[in-house]
Amino acid sequence: MSEGHESRTPVTLSTATWDDPHLQPKSQRPEHTERVILLLFFLGFVGFVGFGVAYWQNWKPWTLGATLGFGMFCIGVGLAAWGKYLMPQGPFVEERHDLASSPEEVDAFSNALIERGGGQVKRRKVLGGMLAAGLGVFGVVAAFPLIRSMGPLPGNSLDVTNWKAGAYLVDRQGRRLRADEFAVGTVVSSVFPEGFQDNEVAQTSDVVIVIRAASAPFGTGSRSSWTPQGYVAYSKMCTHLGCPVGLYERQQNLLVCPCHQSMFDVGDQATPIFGPAPRPLPQLPLYVDAEGYLRAQSGFDQPTGPGFWERTT
Amino acid sequence: MATGLLLGTTVVLGALDFAAAAGASTKAPPSTPVTTTSSPGAHRLPGQKNPYNAFNSGMVNSSILIFNKAGQLIQYGSRSVQYYLPSDALIPQGEALYQTNCSGCHGVNADGVPPKGTPGGYPTLLGLGPATYDFWIESGRMPAANPRSTQAVRRVAKLNHQQALAVSAYLNSLSPATPYIPIVNPQGADLSNGAALFALNCAACHTITGDGDALAYNSFAPSLRHISATQVAEALRTGPANMPVFTGNLTDAQLRDVVAYVTHKIQHPQNPGGFGLGGLGPVGEGFVGLALGVGLLAVVAFWVGDRS
Amino acid sequence: MSAARTKPTTARQSKAALGPYGRTGKAIAELDDRLGIAKGGRTFFDKVFPDHWSFMLGEIALYSFIVLLATGVFLTLYYVPSTGITIYHGGYKPLQGQPVSEAFNSTVNLSFAVRGGLLMRQMHHWACDIFVGAIVVHMARVFFTGAFRKPRELNWTIGILMLILAILEGFIGYSLPDDLISGTGIRIAYGITLSVPLVGSYLASFLFGGPFPGNAVIPRFYTIHVLLVPAILVALVTAHMVLLVRQKHTQFRGEGRTENNVVGTPMFPIFMAKTTGFLFMIAGGIALLGTFFQINPVWQFGQYVPYNISYAVQPDWYMGWLDGALRIMPSWEFAGAGHTIPFEVFLPAAVFPGLIFGICLAWPAIERWYTKDQMPHNLLDRPRDRPKRTAAGAAMLGLLGMLFIASATDVLANFFHVSLNNVLVLMRVLVAVSPFVAYFLTYRICLELQHLPQGGKRKVANIVSLTEDGEYVASPAPPPPGLHHELEAEPVPRYIEVEDQGSSSHTSVEGEGERPPAGSVRTVPR
Repeated sequence: MSEGHESRTPVTLSTATWDDPHLQPKSQRPEHTERVILLLFFLGFVGFVGFGVAYWQNWKPWTLGATLGFGMFCIGVGLAAWGKYLMPQGPFVEERHDLASSPEEVDAFSNALIERGGGQVKRRKVLGGMLAAGLGVFGVVAAFPLIRSMGPLPGNSLDVTNWKAGAYLVDRQGRRLRADEFAVGTVVSSVFPEGFQDNEVAQTSDVVIVIRAASAPFGTGSRSSWTPQGYVAYSKMCTHLGCPVGLYERQQNLLVCPCHQSMFDVGDQATPIFGPAPRPLPQLPLYVDAEGYLRAQSGFDQPTGPGFWERTT
Repeated sequence: MATGLLLGTTVVLGALDFAAAAGASTKAPPSTPVTTTSSPGAHRLPGQKNPYNAFNSGMVNSSILIFNKAGQLIQYGSRSVQYYLPSDALIPQGEALYQTNCSGCHGVNADGVPPKGTPGGYPTLLGLGPATYDFWIESGRMPAANPRSTQAVRRVAKLNHQQALAVSAYLNSLSPATPYIPIVNPQGADLSNGAALFALNCAACHTITGDGDALAYNSFAPSLRHISATQVAEALRTGPANMPVFTGNLTDAQLRDVVAYVTHKIQHPQNPGGFGLGGLGPVGEGFVGLALGVGLLAVVAFWVGDRS
Repeated sequence: MSAARTKPTTARQSKAALGPYGRTGKAIAELDDRLGIAKGGRTFFDKVFPDHWSFMLGEIALYSFIVLLATGVFLTLYYVPSTGITIYHGGYKPLQGQPVSEAFNSTVNLSFAVRGGLLMRQMHHWACDIFVGAIVVHMARVFFTGAFRKPRELNWTIGILMLILAILEGFIGYSLPDDLISGTGIRIAYGITLSVPLVGSYLASFLFGGPFPGNAVIPRFYTIHVLLVPAILVALVTAHMVLLVRQKHTQFRGEGRTENNVVGTPMFPIFMAKTTGFLFMIAGGIALLGTFFQINPVWQFGQYVPYNISYAVQPDWYMGWLDGALRIMPSWEFAGAGHTIPFEVFLPAAVFPGLIFGICLAWPAIERWYTKDQMPHNLLDRPRDRPKRTAAGAAMLGLLGMLFIASATDVLANFFHVSLNNVLVLMRVLVAVSPFVAYFLTYRICLELQHLPQGGKRKVANIVSLTEDGEYVASPAPPPPGLHHELEAEPVPRYIEVEDQGSSSHTSVEGEGERPPAGSVRTVPR
């Protein structure tokens, strides 16, 4: 752009002919450009015909998108090129008119709104108050069916699971687990209380992961009676956000949650040693019954899964 | 009469192995605890000394048991998977290969190097079973490229198949154990069951598309794209490195299904929608969508519009 | 023209009375009799739209939204929004005989058994990724050029609301197939809902129609995704466009451009041609992406069940910043006095995005307060001319960018074969530090750019000539033709002479200046 250019009064064209320079195409060689755009439109035409053929002849699925995409893209390039190179190049200018209304008009509007309209309420305050009260109540109670009808109260659904004393541990097919079936280092990925393995809610809140982490009981204090023959069962629901903690690292004795990489020490009550999880995975106390089946001594001593306001421990 | 003898031997041996499996393997000599350079804070547990504790799961479900003249079990399994022991004839070759390639870290007697000797000891190789040795050698992880690293990575194997079998035969002769080397019979494999088992057991570490990912403290679940059927079976039955071992929770038929799923669908994914973007999921899709999608379209806008 | 319109016509007279624009002109006249569209229509046609390429970024968003609507309608004809169990009997062998939900089943069947179904699905998903990406890029352009200032604050607000809705819509949309990976995302959303203090467990139970997973969330997501949010988005997009037309677009400073005019091309036919061409290019590009790049192959993931999980489960890219925030957050949970507040979830997933969007929504007010500038602005800033604003925007982008990267910790650790734990610790440091570094660096760069000679514009070529004294002298070369507008901007002509006129009459508006002689070329003095 040149500097020090003196401003010229813009000339308003009332009538123009097609010779006017502002209406000339930008292209230096418009015939050539026209041929290129013609080719593009033709390719678009071919592409769309190809799409039709590909569809009716049931060609390979990728040909559908290839022809459609190619056709549309060529049409698009051609059309944009027509607008850019062959149509009037301008440049054109348009004046902005004041967006704001004149002060008189603003005043008149305010007067109508506040004096003519609001003045009604000002002069009959009791009516306005009662109406407002009614509408206010409507606003509140209208929310009731919208929100409350959407679902039941949570009740104790978050606090309790279906694990009871004596419950058999079963896999997804309902097969009872036996203590003599698994060597040290085996993980049974998803274990449920017998009878609940097909229930989706139970699959969420009750699912445990059973690891034969050792050959003999381990754990401090009373927990050593929870791990018969080295079997340990932890709730599979991560205490961070509820993803199943299915990743067991055998050598490091760690359970890692795949979602946000919380790491739980299997040898120490699944205490989180890394990552965002705040609490250990609840442990299910196990025992081996006289027939050799793995069973639960009782339910969990706390709610499973992510934290929530009513959780006390 | 011979049948009765065979059956009787089977039952006795089966019972013996049952007992052996229930406790830690009594065939392995007591080994010193193995340390790893990782897992701070995680507790070592009693009975967890040997990280490669093999298990004789095949015997429990086996319908086929084959013994040699000396009464040694040389093959077992079922219709889906056969586990075999490499021939004794390979033992001398195996011993020579072992002393050359492996004894430097694992000891002349294959009983490992205790942690006091070097920072981080090298594990004992006794009582692990031929499948373990064969897996580590044929996947190229052993001999280790960097013995100090937390986890040996898959490489082009230094020893070929026959040499690997030889080393397996030799090491097994020092301390016989199972599992033997599996050969999977893919006939009758149920891909759908394999997919369900894969989602249940494998996807948490290896990802649902089998591309592998990083685990804690410098360990990795490797990609499953370039692994043979035998090695899949070996990994499942031996539980290498941080991988759990699949014993009573995976029958041979289920093993066959999982192996078929991995070698068919994981390694040859059905990508009717175009380039698979490495199976990385939304990370790869985000890159392509932003760079190719928005980026290229912005370039197009650059052409359509003005520049001043 | 007016004479022809008011005269009653018979069939014989009508042809003679058609006027210079033929039957089309008659049709326009009939339409105008009923709707009165001619005056407004002409004004609309004359609207001048500035042409800078960066003003087209919003169009990428708009046109990908149109692609979303079109492909989405197709998808609704095949997708079944139900969690009812059915047995898969389709073409993908690894799912044969497996119990799956109707939603998953219909999605896989659409992908394999419906001709063009997979293309539509993939176009829909790619268009969504591009839609949100274009919104962000467009928003950045508006921010860095100061186009959100008075009188356009309302449009900025509408834009941010559309961004929030687009992100929500995308999340809900990719959760509809009920596959393993997106189902995990829904599980995480449930946990986030639970974490809200006081009302979390109630909110979660209401939203999900009971305990997780329940049967309500997929049908409800469907209604929200197909009916509610698109309706709101269409309304907001319309409002966005109406405001744009009413307030007219902003423009960069330059020759002939003032606060009180707009220089560019008129709406019809030039701008419409270019923008419609752009629409086809975007639609074609999305179709090609959907053909050659696979996205969201749900058949490989399988049906969602609450006890299964995959690794490397990042959400779609526009949710990545939230996932990254969740990963790097330390485990600060408060438990006491009989209650628990999971801050490690509530802060990064609820408070933090509220803060970010709140800052975005409040930014015009923040800037008005800080600069004490109450004037309307129609001319745009160069980013370098407002170093503090530009640096603040860069700081925000740096923070969010680092959070995006933090959501891929495991993928990065695997790719570079380094410890996952170290990557996470590194990301914590980077997220904390990057806004400050970005602010500082950007601020300095802006100041440097401000002091460039000639404003940093492209250098003009020099012609070097040898004088008779043997001296080399350089003088600027004339700019190449066509690069700059050599013509001065002029208003759109009121009439263009209709060609091939016999007896037609057209009136010229009187007294409005001269008409240039035909064939003359106008030059601009240098």
